[in-house]
Amino acid sequence: MGPEPVAAGEGLVLQGVRASRGRREVLHSIDLAVARGELLVVLGPSGAGKTTLLRVVAGLEPATSGRVSIAGRDVTRLRPGRRNVSMVFQSYALFSHLTVAQNIAFGPLVRDARRAEALQRARAAAAAVGCVHLLDRRPDQLSGGERQRVALARALVREPDVFLLDEPLSNLDIELRAETRAELKALHQRVGATTVHVTHDQVEALVLGDRIAVMREGRLEQVGTPDEIWHAPATTFVARFVGSPRMNLLPGDGPLRPPDAARDAGRTLGFRAEAVRLVPPAGTGSAPDGEPRGAPGDALGVVDRIDVVGEDAYVHLRVESHDVVARVPAAGRPAVGDEVGVSVRWAPGHVFDTATGQRITDR
Amino acid sequence: MTVDLRARGASASEPRSREAKTDRRPGERRQLALMLAPYIVGLVGLVLLPAAVTLALAFTEYDLIRRPRWIGVGNLTMLLDDPIFRIALKNSVVFAAIAVPLRLLVALGLALLLHRRTALVGAARTAAAMPIAVPEIAYGLLWLWLFNPLHGPINQVLRLGGTNGLTVFGRTPPQWLTDPVDAQAAIIVMSLFTVGETFIILLVARRALPPEVYELAAIEDATTWDMFRRITLPLLAPVLGLLLLRDTVASFQVSFVPALVVTEGGPPPYATTYLSLFVYRNGFEYLRYGYAAAATLVLLALTLIAVIVQWRMVRRAQRVYGL
Repeated sequence: MGPEPVAAGEGLVLQGVRASRGRREVLHSIDLAVARGELLVVLGPSGAGKTTLLRVVAGLEPATSGRVSIAGRDVTRLRPGRRNVSMVFQSYALFSHLTVAQNIAFGPLVRDARRAEALQRARAAAAAVGCVHLLDRRPDQLSGGERQRVALARALVREPDVFLLDEPLSNLDIELRAETRAELKALHQRVGATTVHVTHDQVEALVLGDRIAVMREGRLEQVGTPDEIWHAPATTFVARFVGSPRMNLLPGDGPLRPPDAARDAGRTLGFRAEAVRLVPPAGTGSAPDGEPRGAPGDALGVVDRIDVVGEDAYVHLRVESHDVVARVPAAGRPAVGDEVGVSVRWAPGHVFDTATGQRITDR
Repeated sequence: MTVDLRARGASASEPRSREAKTDRRPGERRQLALMLAPYIVGLVGLVLLPAAVTLALAFTEYDLIRRPRWIGVGNLTMLLDDPIFRIALKNSVVFAAIAVPLRLLVALGLALLLHRRTALVGAARTAAAMPIAVPEIAYGLLWLWLFNPLHGPINQVLRLGGTNGLTVFGRTPPQWLTDPVDAQAAIIVMSLFTVGETFIILLVARRALPPEVYELAAIEDATTWDMFRRITLPLLAPVLGLLLLRDTVASFQVSFVPALVVTEGGPPPYATTYLSLFVYRNGFEYLRYGYAAAATLVLLALTLIAVIVQWRMVRRAQRVYGL
């Protein structure tokens, strides 16, 4: 089974793909195209169907309807072994009874490569992810990060049409995760293979993805570049899921509105914590020199809670009956219980239809 | 490397046990002793004492009527010259050599067949484990009927399509209870269905293997045979090794009731007289307790040798697979 001819530009295409677990449908008609060489991150909370999507592409779970094609081939009815994909499992799925070299060489060996050749290819793959020194060890002698590397090398040993990575970083501690994330990106740039990377970590998605597909309850909410996802979230769900702290979403007839906007309960207004400005309320006497004073039209908020993260302070406020989060420099933060004036820089504001949650672009 | 692991394991467990000893308070000790008491009483009364008595009796002549008479190694030399003992010994070894691997294979086959969740798999698992729930004597009597050369269902099935009481191939069907070799085969066949425990252990062991490794193998287009050879077998090897040892030890008993109930040690003279039956006959029928005890010692020694040989084989296999 040599490498199949690849149709130019075509990596992975899903058309109307549905899948079920028992009687419950977990993927509702997914349409998605991943260009050849692209790294697409599938992002969503747990239970969104991300892993199912990956497993349907791999052929580990059947699509109840729709079409999956890889490199221009319809693979919907093909068994996993005929799809020419590589997968890295969240648990890594290393063979505990084999050495690292044998683990990486497993694929070539069962596909009838000669032993010496398989081991040589294993060594090359191990070199690509920097784990040659581990070749003679066994999985139980490896750290989490080393196991992850071996799993990656095992995916690299063949030349698949698509790499499928199922939360490959989620079992690593935070420091290692950031480091491995950077290596993964470099590796993808070097290898240039079509990759689908599943994660629930929005930072991982924003850093890694050429594009991001945000999933929720078995549907795609938005597919776009990290910039699009961040600056123009298509729905309130995407707006809240991407970004930490979550984007503030207030009704269009609430206390905080752009100056030119009419009261409109049918709209939801979104702004990130960075866009919120806190000032001493208008009318109180003793503001320090030069500090901006609130304008009489500002909304008033009461500080509920403050999370200080190094230089930044996330100030959780109640503005009338709404929760608002502001990011301010930790040095100039108010105290819990303070009353502050709240204003918003609306420059990159977000407007959504309250009923559908869809973004309204013509504002 | 195996040595490494063992050394590490030993050094890790040593301080822990010492710690546990110093930590244990007197009340806790009393409680432990109390909880162990029933088991210890049973062990001493039912295993250790009889074993000691057997060991002593092996060097005496004792017929339950006269007092035991010390005769040294007389029983053992007599055993060596006893042609019946030699036949029984050979029968036992042949039985173990054939039945033990076959029983393990049957149990493994059933476990691999029935580990998935499919329709009716629960009923199938119960059926596979069921024969061990049948009392041994009843099980034997059942097979006595099944094996009946003329009216038994087994030979009736074998005769299907044939004429004049012959099989389709014009052969006489096996004379299960009257031909020596067929009778030995019958005892082995009987033993192949009482693999419930082994089956359950292997079923659980198989179900404990991570499904992702099989999914990964599927993505790599591994064949079923490759998955069995490269994944299932090596991952189950430690359990299989242990079960092999256990079944070898048990094999000297597995043949006892069938031989007693179904073939009565025959066909004549001694085609299915195994060591266990030999001991039983000499002890409880001919009242040669000393002689029977000596034969038991030989049986024990043989079991020990078999276990040691297998243990070394298992260790070597584990070293190859690095387990």
